[in-house]
This record gives sequence, structure tokens and C-alpha cells, in this order.
Amino acid sequence: MKILIIEDNPELTQNMVSYLQGENILCETVANLFDAQDKLLSFQYDCIVLDLMLPDGNGLEILDFIKNKKLSTNVLIISAKDSLDDRLKGLDEGADDYLPKPFHLSELLARLRAIYRRSRLGGSDQLVFNEISLDTALIQVKVAENILDLTKKEFDLLLFFITNKNRVIGKEAIAQHLWGDYTDDLANFDFVYQHVKNLRKKISQAGGNDYIKTVYGIGYKFDPNVS
Amino acid sequence: MKLINLLTIWYTLITMIALFLGGLLIFKKFESEIDFELGRELDRQIDAYAERIESGAPADRLIYDKLEIREIPYELPLEELYLRDTVAYHDPMNRAENQLKASKSYKIDGKHYRISYYNIVVETEDITETVVITMFSVFLIQLLFLGFFTRIGSNKILRPFHKTLDQIRSFNFQKNEPLHLPENSIAEFEKLNSFLEKMSQKLLNDYRQIKEFSENLSHEIQTPSAIIRGKLEHLMNEQISEKQALMIQSAYQSNEKINKIVRSLSMLAKLENEEFEAPEKIDLSPIVQKIIEGMTELIELKNLEVKTQIQENSSVKIHPFIAEVLIQNLINNAIKHNVEGGKLYVELNDYSLRIENSGALPEKDPEEFFDRFSKGNTNSDSIGLGLSIVKQICRRYNLRPIYRIENNLHVLTILFK
Repeated sequence: MKILIIEDNPELTQNMVSYLQGENILCETVANLFDAQDKLLSFQYDCIVLDLMLPDGNGLEILDFIKNKKLSTNVLIISAKDSLDDRLKGLDEGADDYLPKPFHLSELLARLRAIYRRSRLGGSDQLVFNEISLDTALIQVKVAENILDLTKKEFDLLLFFITNKNRVIGKEAIAQHLWGDYTDDLANFDFVYQHVKNLRKKISQAGGNDYIKTVYGIGYKFDPNVS
Repeated sequence: MKLINLLTIWYTLITMIALFLGGLLIFKKFESEIDFELGRELDRQIDAYAERIESGAPADRLIYDKLEIREIPYELPLEELYLRDTVAYHDPMNRAENQLKASKSYKIDGKHYRISYYNIVVETEDITETVVITMFSVFLIQLLFLGFFTRIGSNKILRPFHKTLDQIRSFNFQKNEPLHLPENSIAEFEKLNSFLEKMSQKLLNDYRQIKEFSENLSHEIQTPSAIIRGKLEHLMNEQISEKQALMIQSAYQSNEKINKIVRSLSMLAKLENEEFEAPEKIDLSPIVQKIIEGMTELIELKNLEVKTQIQENSSVKIHPFIAEVLIQNLINNAIKHNVEGGKLYVELNDYSLRIENSGALPEKDPEEFFDRFSKGNTNSDSIGLGLSIVKQICRRYNLRPIYRIENNLHVLTILFK
């Protein structure tokens, strides 16, 4: 998967690149509209990560550009301008998703993967990880051919873990991924703990390995190297 | 009270006093003038009779009811004209009347006569009556004109003032247009208008600055905060000790808190700026249901007893996004501050949204939770902006929030007017 990151803040760009590169995503970066258009004309990208407030204009112009040049690329808008208008406008103009800043890097990865699945794989994808396989179209998980009885949230959680495997995912990131913006108001994260516990239990009962590890008090890690 | 009415009342009172004093003056003047003229007339009459006596008319034959001639001792000195009021018989009216009596003595042919002549005086009551009637008529005429003036004149004079008022009333920060008031020939109104124009311009500038500031602030803080978050997430993935993990966790949580505060404040600013127009009513019931469903796991986790009574088509004029923020906030609160195995009742109908939940009872007046950064428990991790957002939303859309404790339950009601 090859993406273009259009973001003028070098630190943020670096954060995103170093996280995504480890996931086998090829990242190219530009810091303004002009360079972005240049790149878009010369290369083919699966997805664009687009900031809206750029030094030489509004990122929404890129959406027009893509439409006019009939480029087949997906767009994920990231913006600190948390305004509803921009969100609606962006999605109207053909963006595939909108992620308000600040976001968790794990969430960015999950969204990129989801966009990729939707557009390139027609929404259906078989994710196989050792004995666990996920079908994103059917929302079904099999562990060594046993179908797991998971709730929608548990399925999302597992998908989130596998997408971000080998990474430490903070409790906050999990809460936000599953319940959206406002749950971060729920100060204690017992409910995350509870959900992870249930998921681990269900996988173990079906005969799967317990890949999910607790990392001190910070969060969890889906560790493929578990013995 | 209208200014014009106040002016009228004052004007009427002052006129009444002026007319009263004027009336008194006129009365006094009238009285003395009449007495003076009457005295002169009587004097002339007496002189005329004296002449007749001098020319040989017998004094005792002249006497009649108005005239009195009396011989007094010759040695007495001549008496000057002497006027006095008396009551005497008045023939034509056939009764005693107030009369003016003038007397004077003459020495004619070795005899000394005191000649007194009476005449009826104009009675004070008559003067008073005349004066009062006159003054009253003047007063009535004045009132008539005053009424006329307040009806028509003042409307005409105050028209520019009312126009200015209308313009101020329709002044709106959203339209972003300073006041433009028409030129005026009345100096005071012109002064007021130019002052208002300048003020509106300044208000708009300040408003724009504050708006830009709050927008920039949220952007400017969110970017570095996003960087911090990213760096900390990277750090988490390094080889770290538990001690380091705890430090990362603590830094991470504080950063999240900054984030939350900035986001909430920017939401408050947007609400205060009257963004999120609500052109039409929307049905809240699906939103409430959706939010409760989204919280199912959290509700189960706390073993809450949930009862809902949601009436369909409970419509309120509110922006759909804001409706979600409002309900999310309220239900979040009701779950967050609840106790293990507590209660959560949600009732929605055309008039109100009522959320009841168990929880620790507050020491202070629950209404204070609507204030910014006000928390029931100072140690709690919440930032204390949730309910002030609720309050701001209610103010923006003319709803009424009420927070009470009833039967040991927290009861938050939003009344739709």
C-alpha cells in the first residue's frame, strides 16, 4: 500500500511515517498543495492523507484536483479544524473518511486499512493471522475453524488489534476506536479492560493462543510472538 | 413608562402649579383694581352731591338708600375720603349685601356734613369663579394641545430614535454588518447614532478577533498536542521498564486532558458564536435510542438498571449534531457518576427529556454543576465542562435545563418550550 501524506507539520508527518512504515505502508510526504499536485500527477497512490490547513491554501482544493484529473485514489482527511462544515464539505467533495486531529496513530492505521479494504477489496477481506481468521464482510471470526460468537464491538476490537499487531495500543485509543469521541470523558477505562478480557477468554475457549498482552498500565499489545 | 408620558405628567403638573399661582395673582390684582375704581367712582358721586348741597339743594331731601348725609359738629376737622366694607340694605335686590361705603366731610355754608355713599361691590366668590373658570379653560386647551403633540408630534420627533432601536434589535454578529443609521437633524440623536455605529463596528472587530483567537487556539494547541501523543505512542513501543511506562502513561493522560479541555472550550466558543443554526425541528427519539444502544456495554458493566420511556416524534428545534452532543453528554454523565448496580431512567416526550440516575449525592447545589470547571468531586478525572456545554446548548436553542435531587436520585430535566 502506497500513500501520500500532505501535512505541513514535519513532526506530525514524522510521527505518522514512522508508525505506518513499520506496517508495510510506503509513505511519501509533501508539505504544501503545490508539491502535492506535482506528486499526484507523477505517481499513483492508494490513499492520500490530507491536512486541510496548508501554507498555500485549503486542502479541500486537492479533492477538486483529484476529481478534475480523474485520479483513482482514496482520501483520508485529517484536520485540526474540528468544524462540522469542513467535515461535511470534505465528505461531500469525495473524501473517504475524516479523522479529526489529534488522532491516535493506531486509529489512523485502522482507518487507512478500512478505506483500502472498502475500495480495493470491495469491502470483503480475509485477514488471516495464524489460527485466527477474520472475514470483514460477514463480521465473522474463526479460530481454527471454530466460529467465535463475538459482539460487534469485540469484532472491531480484534480487528483493531490485528491491524495494529505488535504495537502497544493505549487504553484511550481503544476506547475512542470503539465508542467514539465522547467516551474519553468516561475517565476510568474499566470497560476497555472488561472488553479485552472477554475477547481473550473467547479466543482461548475456542482453542486459540492468547496473543493479547497487558503492557504495564498503559494498554495492550497483540503479540504474535507469544509462545 | 414611556418617556413621552413621563414628560406629559411633569409638564401637566408644572402647568397646574403655574396656573394656580397665576390665578391667585390675577385674583388679587382684580380685587384691588375693582376696589380702586369703585372708590374713585364713589368719590366722584360724593363730590357731586356736595356740589348740589352747595348750590342750595336741601341736604335731607337728597338722602336715599345709597346716600347718607349727616351733620356733624363744625369744630371737627374735615374728614378725608374714607373707604370701608360694610353690609347694608340693597334696595333692588331687597336684601343686605356686601357694599363699599365711602365717606367724606364737607364744610358748606357754616355747616359740616359727612356724606357717605354706598355701592355694591363685586363679590370675591364671583371673581374667584371667573378666575378659576378662565384658568381651567386655559388648562384644558393646553391639555388638548399636549395630547395632540404626544400623539403626532412626538411620534414624528422620536421616529429616528425608534428606527435606531429597531436597527439595534436586528443587529446580529452572524451577519457581520455594522449598524448603518440614517442621518439625523436632531443633534442628540445624531450623536447617539454615530456612537452606536462606532460601537457596533468595534463589537464586530472584537468578536471577530475572539472568534479567530478561539479557533486558532484550538488549532495551535491541538497540533503540538497531537505531536506529543504520537511521540508518546512511539515511546510505548520501545523497550521500557515499568517505571518508564507509568511516566509515559501519566504524561499521556495529561496530554489527553489538555486535548479534551481545548476541544470542549472550542465547542463552547462555537455555541456562544451561535454557530449551528437549527432551521427545523428534529425528532430526538432515534438519537436517544442510538446513544443508549451505543452505551449498552458500559451500562452492563456497571450493572445499571435501565428504564426508558421514549415517545416517538419528540421534536425540538436543534441542530442534529448538537442534539447528539447534548444527549451524549447527559447520558455519559448519568453512567459515569452512577454507582455499581445503580439506576438509570430516561424519559423523552414532547415537553422534556428527563434523565434520572443514582449516584453520590452532592454537597452543593446541583445547579452549580452547570458552571464551568465545576466538579462534584475535586479528585475526579473529569474536566467539569460537560454540563456547561449542556447549559450553553440549552441557552442557544431556548431550552431549560433543571438539575435537582429527588428521592436520592440525580434528576436532570431539559424542558423544551
